[in-house]
Amino acid sequence: MKLDMSFPARKYKLYATWKRDMETMKLPFPREWSHTQFNLPPNWREVALKKMDEVVNKFRSVKLFLDICVKCGACTDKCPMFLGTLDPNNMPVARQDLFRSVYKRYFTLTGRIFRGLVGAEELTEETVELWYTYFYQCSQCRRCSVFCPYGIDTAEIMIAAREVLTAIGLSPRSLTEAIAKCETIGNHMGIPPAALLSAIQFAEEEIKEETGIEVKVPINKKGAEILYVPPSADFFGGPHWGTLKGAIKMFHQIGLDYTISTYASEGGNFGTWLGYEHMKKINRKLVEEAKRLGVKWILGGECGHMWRVIHAFMDTMNGPLDFLEEPVSPITGTKFEHAASTKMVHICEFTADLIKNGKLKLNPDANNQYIVTYHDSCNPARVMGLIEEPRYILKNVCRNYVELDPNVNREKTICCCAGGGLLADETIELRLKAVRPKIEAIKRTGANFLACICAIDKAAFTEYFEHYKLPITVGGVHELVGNALVFD
Amino acid sequence: MDPLIFIIGYITPYIAFFTLILGLIYRVARWLSIPVPFRLPVAPAPITYTGVLKRMSLDFFAFRSLLKGNKKLWIGGYVFHVALAITLISHIINVYFHELWAVVGYGWYEAVLYSGIFFLAALSFLLIRRIVLPNVRYISKLSDYVILILLITIVFLGVYMRSFGLVDVASVSEYMYSLLRFNPIPPPDNIWFLTHYVLAQILFIYIPFSKVSHLIGWILSTTRNMRNITRWRRHVNPWDYPVEVITWDEYYRKFKDELETIGPGGERR
Repeated sequence: MKLDMSFPARKYKLYATWKRDMETMKLPFPREWSHTQFNLPPNWREVALKKMDEVVNKFRSVKLFLDICVKCGACTDKCPMFLGTLDPNNMPVARQDLFRSVYKRYFTLTGRIFRGLVGAEELTEETVELWYTYFYQCSQCRRCSVFCPYGIDTAEIMIAAREVLTAIGLSPRSLTEAIAKCETIGNHMGIPPAALLSAIQFAEEEIKEETGIEVKVPINKKGAEILYVPPSADFFGGPHWGTLKGAIKMFHQIGLDYTISTYASEGGNFGTWLGYEHMKKINRKLVEEAKRLGVKWILGGECGHMWRVIHAFMDTMNGPLDFLEEPVSPITGTKFEHAASTKMVHICEFTADLIKNGKLKLNPDANNQYIVTYHDSCNPARVMGLIEEPRYILKNVCRNYVELDPNVNREKTICCCAGGGLLADETIELRLKAVRPKIEAIKRTGANFLACICAIDKAAFTEYFEHYKLPITVGGVHELVGNALVFD
Repeated sequence: MDPLIFIIGYITPYIAFFTLILGLIYRVARWLSIPVPFRLPVAPAPITYTGVLKRMSLDFFAFRSLLKGNKKLWIGGYVFHVALAITLISHIINVYFHELWAVVGYGWYEAVLYSGIFFLAALSFLLIRRIVLPNVRYISKLSDYVILILLITIVFLGVYMRSFGLVDVASVSEYMYSLLRFNPIPPPDNIWFLTHYVLAQILFIYIPFSKVSHLIGWILSTTRNMRNITRWRRHVNPWDYPVEVITWDEYYRKFKDELETIGPGGERR
């Protein structure tokens, strides 16, 4: 495995958070700064080390992972960011080492005594620059963890490491702009209630034109049985639009008593990539809204990192959700026992159950113009283990379904490389390089439709296919479901 | 008695042994003292304890995760660890239960020597790989080479003195027994043995302070030892704290006009 010792990825830095967003979000050290000029506070080292001490004593996994890595190198060629750039610091272990070396220097006996001999390094401004660069080049996809003999998860170390960066006033605009909007307006895209209504009405009109059926989407409806929370991108259009329409059509066909919310119009959670507090804040609104509306349970739309939060964090952070009921499909009567505590079901789980029980009227021929392949998003695949359901749905709503190369599929998936805060214009060059193996695998299948269940996938792959001039449509699983629905 | 022999024969063996044991206990206790705030197994993950046991066993006995990603390293690492296990077991038998060989057959006693050869080969492979492969060289610190060189030296000395009959196993055994009774006799005056022995003591002391603590640490790996049941059973975070969010009322006041276009009270039925 060759390395590029010119560290080519060092030039890809996410832009700095605006001062006004730092103030809105109450982030530490609000000030004017840029990705090249940090303007760190005078006591930054002290603050950073204090925060570092805090995070390694808050997360057993982080301390354990920092301690037991044997530097075997099994992860080195597994990170798409490394494969795309050959930048040594993008090898998962090297990325961790940027943090580990400082941890060793200040918090371990051997590091304090033997320093560089055991890989312990001083915390300097240059270190901080490397941190900000490379910690935000991890999409937190967990691919490295699959191959690590001890399951060391770079994502968990990065979550902790980013807490340290945030504490000294360093965070990227690609995250904070969206988080600030979400916390003040209601969603990452900054869609205010009236615009959201327009989007819904527009979708309703389109559905009427296409199928002749009248649908009406309930909004903020008290007493609905189910609260449906998609990522806000679904209201925005583009490759997400078909997913929103597909879901609306499906809910109409089965006569579901549901509502969407403007207050909790964001399923996604960019806070996930900044730190615990903002993750919890964004997720909290879902819980508050479910309580206010008096729904029985929550249905979540097609979104990747949203489901990382819901599956792995929601109940712990914002539970217990006792005011909700254990989810039962009102159409099939199926109990979603696996969601008994969090009371939130993934739309693919819900739809797969409908299909299994023959409750959807489907005509797979409606998707005959497509050869469909499925892209496993990192979070559904490696956080939830949601691998079979989308495939089951796809095989029932289209005739031409093909699988990707097993080396980049299922739990070994190479993600869209745009998660973790990387979905920003300034990283497009990096992402195009990193996603290359996945693009090649998609090309090899001969597919002309890439189905995915993540809003960031949809946005990113559309961009990539345009760049590589590939005639492949990107859309949601529920876009294809929507196409196949038969209304008489 | 030579003071040096006295130290390495009477004192440091105890220091090494207790550093290893107490050091590892401290390490584990320290890890265990830190909470596991979230349940974050890497999926697809089992939902039953049996499933977790199976997953962990495959990782322990077959190095399955490593096998998925790097076959060459798997062979090197696997041979190394198996040879290490055989060596440790046969040392215990040699030193403390020597009569056991008569039971299992002296053929096995001879065979153990060959595991030493494999041991050396695997260690050399790991060392050469660390030097030659640019990616592994980049992530290697001095300590990563030192531990391999230390192991190679210990194993080489062991294989060498066994092959040429340079040490009397019975007298070593007698000495080791005396240590166990806390009434040590002088160690065999044999330069091969003493070097091998001192280096092994250094290794013992080094283990708890280094990455070698993975020998226990792997069991605590939360991405492997947890069940994928987070939505089914609530996991509690002991340091959780409340956060402030914009309430519906605040939100309603802010967007009153817009919400009223949706319907009365922002509601559209």
